[in-house]
Amino acid sequence: MAHQTEVSHHAPEEEHPTSTGINNRKLLMWVFLSSDCLFFGSLIATYMVYRGQSLVGPYPVDIIDVPITTISTFVLLCSSFAMVRALAATNENRQGAILFWLLMTAFLGAIFIGFQVYEFNLFRSEGLRIDTNLFGSTFFTLTGFHGAHVTLGIVWLLGLAWVAKKGRLGPKTALDVELAGLYWHFVDIVWIVIFTLLYLIGGFDTGPAGDPSLVPHSITGFLGLI
Amino acid sequence: MSSDHGVHESRHPTLKQYVIIAIFLFAITIVEFVIILPEDFRGQGWTIAPLAILSAIKFAAVIFFYMHLKFDNRMLTWVFLGGLALGFAVVLALVGLFASWTPSPRAFAEDHAKPCTLDHELGGCLEDRPKAAPEPVDPVDQPPSEEGRTEIDPEEPPAPGGLVEIGRQVFITGTGQGAATPCVTCHTVGGVPEAVGLLGPDLSHIGTEAATRQPGVSAEDYIAQSIRDPESFIAEGVDRATPGLMLTAITAGLADEDVDALVAFLMAQQ
Ligand code: HEC
Repeated sequence: MAHQTEVSHHAPEEEHPTSTGINNRKLLMWVFLSSDCLFFGSLIATYMVYRGQSLVGPYPVDIIDVPITTISTFVLLCSSFAMVRALAATNENRQGAILFWLLMTAFLGAIFIGFQVYEFNLFRSEGLRIDTNLFGSTFFTLTGFHGAHVTLGIVWLLGLAWVAKKGRLGPKTALDVELAGLYWHFVDIVWIVIFTLLYLIGGFDTGPAGDPSLVPHSITGFLGLI
Repeated sequence: MSSDHGVHESRHPTLKQYVIIAIFLFAITIVEFVIILPEDFRGQGWTIAPLAILSAIKFAAVIFFYMHLKFDNRMLTWVFLGGLALGFAVVLALVGLFASWTPSPRAFAEDHAKPCTLDHELGGCLEDRPKAAPEPVDPVDQPPSEEGRTEIDPEEPPAPGGLVEIGRQVFITGTGQGAATPCVTCHTVGGVPEAVGLLGPDLSHIGTEAATRQPGVSAEDYIAQSIRDPESFIAEGVDRATPGLMLTAITAGLADEDVDALVAFLMAQQ
């Protein structure tokens, strides 16, 4: 197959040839991300199935704050940009820049988490807890697992920054940064989906009292998508 | 996917390209935000398609450029898109399954619901707490209850309008002199927009129906008893009831005035 020729294409990095022509660690990362799609897919499905099914409030429209979350979405997008800069700096062996952009990515990620902590606390004080209703359960489970992914990413980035500080990151070890970057960007795209579904589309859902036709609406609305 | 650029220059986009992509992603997010800015547009079914398409574009921009799938071995693209497609299929299957399932999740939840007044300090439901509550209620509740009610009903012809109105408020908010779980949580009453609860029987015509429930018990007494001591008698053949759901704990906190007002209000539902 054509892949054989691509092996030499990757030659500059010191890799042993693999039957796929892809570095094994990189393939592993992509397979993991691929499987993580299923993980988030099932959490998103759970949210959609129970959308508009809560018997008691608070309902999304009562507490979801789209403008604030748009800001934190921007922050996460910025962090993805910082991440690609970190990888570029690694490939170009600019030591100071590697450290700077890695820390910047982690910092922006931390701000995102800060927004989430603020939001969760606010919701709690407004009466939405994970055991309040189906909305609370599905919302906190989905966004909570995403937040956990971001947190793990921050730890990973800080670890890399520590390695960078020792001057051990450079073109030869660029894959270390690249893999963290893949994970980080993945967490970003998951947020793109969550933001659209839970905030832009589902953020204005009212309770059954406000709109009894909500259930068919959400399902036909979803099927209309496809 | 063509290989016209990227492949022959470098495996990664240049700084300029990254900046352009970043601006592009920002711009799309702003457009998404603008779509739901007018209040009339929020939560409208038609906004779903544009929002989904814009997000899909963002999604693609990140995976193909930031994650440089576009410049990488094609197999990685299939590995990832395969998982993505499976994830999408999972969503479709689950949503489809539950959409066609009877009873619907909400009907199921209603059938299995138990009353829960949220305890914001400790978490959980007040109903689950060990029953220490009756003490302050019982002494106040019992002695004046019989007279209090018989006095008001026949003697105050001008008052019922006011009393009915008070009763309506208590019915909706659950608070009068005392407090209870708002009745509207579980009961529907025609003409009261707030009252659309489905857990208990429809009370739209309780004013007449109540007289038929128990032989020898008048409509007023039956309603009063249903509120004061709901567990003592459970009507049969009442539509949509989740039998036994109306617990004494729900109404124990009501003052006598509240019960009188509620009776007046419900008697008016002919
Ligand atoms: C947790 C849900 C719930 C709440 C809150 C509730 N009820 Fe009920 N109610 C029921 C159910 C269920 C029944 C049917 C009897 C049973 O199974 O206990 C009922 C029965 C009744 C009946 C008798 C109806 C009949 O047709 O025989 C009356 C009257 C009534 N409720 C009034 C009230 C009033 C007034 C309030 C507010 C103080 C209230 N309920 C709050 C669930 C509730």
